[in-house]
Amino acid sequence: MTFWANHRNTLIAIAAVLIAAPFVASRPVWLDSAVILGVYALLALSVGISYGQAGILTMSQGAFASVGAYAAALCSARWGWPPFTDLVLAMLLPAVLAYGVGRVVTRLSPLATALATLALGSVISIYIRHADDLTGGYVGFAGIPAIGFIDTPLEYAVLAWLLVIAVVYGYENLMRSAHGRALNVLQQDQARARADGIDVARSMSAAFALSAAIAGIAGWLYAHYVSVLSPESLDTNISVTALLMAVVGGAGYVLGPIIGTVLFDTLTRLLPAAELQGLFYGLALVVILLVARTGLMGLGEQLIGAARSGLGRRAAPAAGLPARAAS
Amino acid sequence: MTFSEFILRGVLAGSIYVLLAVPMSLLFSTVRTIDFAVGAYALVAAAVAASVGGVLGIAAGLGAAVAGSAAMALIFLLLKRFGCHNHIIYALASFGVATALASAVLWQYGTQSFVRDSFSQFWSLAGIRISPQGVLNLVTALVAVTILYVVIQRSQLGRMMRAAAVNVMGSELAGIPVELIQVGTYLVGGLLGGIAGLLILFTAGLDYSAPLSLTLSGFAAAIVFGIDNPFRALFGGLAMGVAEALAAGYTSGMVTSMVPFLFLLIVLGTSRFGDATVAGDRT
Repeated sequence: MTFWANHRNTLIAIAAVLIAAPFVASRPVWLDSAVILGVYALLALSVGISYGQAGILTMSQGAFASVGAYAAALCSARWGWPPFTDLVLAMLLPAVLAYGVGRVVTRLSPLATALATLALGSVISIYIRHADDLTGGYVGFAGIPAIGFIDTPLEYAVLAWLLVIAVVYGYENLMRSAHGRALNVLQQDQARARADGIDVARSMSAAFALSAAIAGIAGWLYAHYVSVLSPESLDTNISVTALLMAVVGGAGYVLGPIIGTVLFDTLTRLLPAAELQGLFYGLALVVILLVARTGLMGLGEQLIGAARSGLGRRAAPAAGLPARAAS
Repeated sequence: MTFSEFILRGVLAGSIYVLLAVPMSLLFSTVRTIDFAVGAYALVAAAVAASVGGVLGIAAGLGAAVAGSAAMALIFLLLKRFGCHNHIIYALASFGVATALASAVLWQYGTQSFVRDSFSQFWSLAGIRISPQGVLNLVTALVAVTILYVVIQRSQLGRMMRAAAVNVMGSELAGIPVELIQVGTYLVGGLLGGIAGLLILFTAGLDYSAPLSLTLSGFAAAIVFGIDNPFRALFGGLAMGVAEALAAGYTSGMVTSMVPFLFLLIVLGTSRFGDATVAGDRT
């Protein structure tokens, strides 16, 4: 019972994956989509930790993913590292980069921090384009091997969603820990957080580094699955898309970014032209900011809260139960 | 090329950044937020002007850019009406507008690069070949900044703008239509962004992927010498143009491409931007 209460999001994610699995496995094209969706879900989750919990409006997750992806490509294809060992570097490199930048920019206002992440993403992207010897420059990097025994789209889809569930589990545990509570406090009131003895810059930078590491996992998975990388593979557009997915789904909620990812993916398939994707994403963001700033998850929670309080009033009008405050 | 030639070329190129930086500075002073869509207004203006052509095209381009900023201003007003006073949410919404506008251009005009030649001949100044378009860009930037200077420092409207920037509640109590001024600032941003887009159209050209880096360049130029004063944006823009030209002359292509972003990171890393400065102060 306690496990259910403490890991509700993880169990919901596992249940959703198990329900979807038979349908997805029946069509090869859906398996391919499931892997890419898993990559996006990881990226959106990384935005959730950074923006939803630490308040850093990050626009560099695509760049962190590309650092992870190129690390995977170099380690496995060029240096012949054993399978999975490159994952360590793919997580570590973006995390170190993010922590260093985080220590400098998190003392600034939230807007300045957002701009700094965008600038950092652009610098990384330009470096990748020009570092011909290391990344293949504009031509890119081909022939990235599969991850050991994992070879088919089905195996990649299983790996991708196992990773998503693992991240959700870790994320949930983090938010229940002292570090998670510290993040919640500093997001609401930094002065209060300092008064409570929280090292604000270090906590925010650590959260940013963690989110970069998760983006690195997404890049690692992408590189091995697609086996080809170019500077456009994981560019600023990916950062923007991941940010919009997280915000629309509900960046402050553990499962919000995944909801946003699935929703965007579903609706993208209904669009008449691929070029309209940005128009749709932009409008979706504006509408959600106007209608429900806490995202779809927040909207759902408000509706459930309202329904509960309505039911409560009908059941016990004299008791006058207060409406549950939606976060 | 000589050092002086790099400086001259940098100044001419920097005038575009000036036009992108001034709206950033104005908006930050009055609303304390960023309009990420300024680069998208430039793109929309260039795309519409290139497709319509002629003087009518220029007017249509500017109209489209201002219409884009009017949409952003409307969203800003609606957010305020719905009780949102979070500046980062305004910026996020402008991000959505920027994405939507760039996508609309991509859908309508494809991935083509918008570029037009205005002058076929070049001028020579002390042995340095310069483009008349570059000079026109600089003159346009100077005229725009001068008009803004006169309006902000010498007119009734300017006094109200400065008051609204320093103290919103005090201004409202004094009967100043703060919200109207904020909306007007968004529209001026659209107009200046549109002008910048037209100048880029006739200089280096741009395509649907340009908006975000244009916005970022504008912001970098705006904060170099302090974002709270729009006139510093003039020198910020020109300084960035010069830095870019010098980087192009003396370093690799990689460093040149990174200049606006490195500028931004260095300034943010070394300043106390956004700490507790009073908006609109003149210190």
